Amino acid sequence: MGNCLKAQSADDISLLRGSETQDGNDQALGPPPPYQERVAPRAPIYYPSPNVSRPANLLTEDEQVKIAKRLGLIVHLPCGVYDGCSKKGKECAICMCDFVMGESLRFLPCMHTYHKDCIDDWLMRSFTCPSCMEPVDAALLTSYETS
Amino acid sequence: MANIAEARIKREFKEVVKSEEVAKCHIKVELVNDTFTELRGEIAGPPDTPYEGGNFILEIKIPDTYPFNPPKVKFVTKIWHPNISSVTGAICLDILKDQWAAAMTLRTVLLSLQALLAAAEPDDPQDAVVAKQYKENPKIFQDTAKHWTHIFAGDSKVAMITHMLELKQIKKIAISHHS
Repeated sequence: MGNCLKAQSADDISLLRGSETQDGNDQALGPPPPYQERVAPRAPIYYPSPNVSRPANLLTEDEQVKIAKRLGLIVHLPCGVYDGCSKKGKECAICMCDFVMGESLRFLPCMHTYHKDCIDDWLMRSFTCPSCMEPVDAALLTSYETS
Repeated sequence: MANIAEARIKREFKEVVKSEEVAKCHIKVELVNDTFTELRGEIAGPPDTPYEGGNFILEIKIPDTYPFNPPKVKFVTKIWHPNISSVTGAICLDILKDQWAAAMTLRTVLLSLQALLAAAEPDDPQDAVVAKQYKENPKIFQDTAKHWTHIFAGDSKVAMITHMLELKQIKKIAISHHS
């Protein structure tokens, strides 16, 4: 966000300096490469293990593989929207807020339900249910076997 | 502080205040400032332990990433326990490190600490000296822990002052013997 704003202000200054607006715009289009460089350190932050946080561009190869696998697994967990009559709890144990109609939820194989954003953030750090500590990958496998 | 952390602490605060343990005066949480980043906890020493009768103050710091990362907790009240540093108050407890889960709360942390006081884990020590004594000389350990509870966690300030004076006296004697 900050970078976007900076780029915007650079644009504005060139607009002020240039006698012709068109000219100024061309100058502003000139420096994308440095802008790209500035964006790099603000890459999304990942958590290869619970107490390690690293921007995406500084991850080791092993960590990248681990994160990619994790993202792949999370996608397979069922999602839904809170319909107001869910019997599987009315509160997200992570943010401790009550579910509101229309909010996206994610259901873990152990039958615990959380806000999608809350649980996805947690699962990237630890692939266990925050409530019952059940490893999600093990539970996923058993749920595949039984179904 | 991240929004989710603050919102959760506010909710947890109500939960601890309303809980049964509070009614029985076993655990307590207070705000230190208005930002919800720093809290002051208090736990009562469990019965039938050398910590019985003591009130132990805890420093609780809430990270921006809470509840995805555990709160940072240490003892402010000095305590003689194998899993708590007798010097710094640092705590060795799995749920405050790698066994933390996002569904845990201030209440469960305080109750876990109380359980730790009742059941030490000398094989995973924070204070090697205390752990050694705990294993090799349980009687002396019990007496020391009880003495520390009485001096540092008791409600009488007088006990603390007497202890400080005793220490000064001992130091003086030691110095005079030395020179």
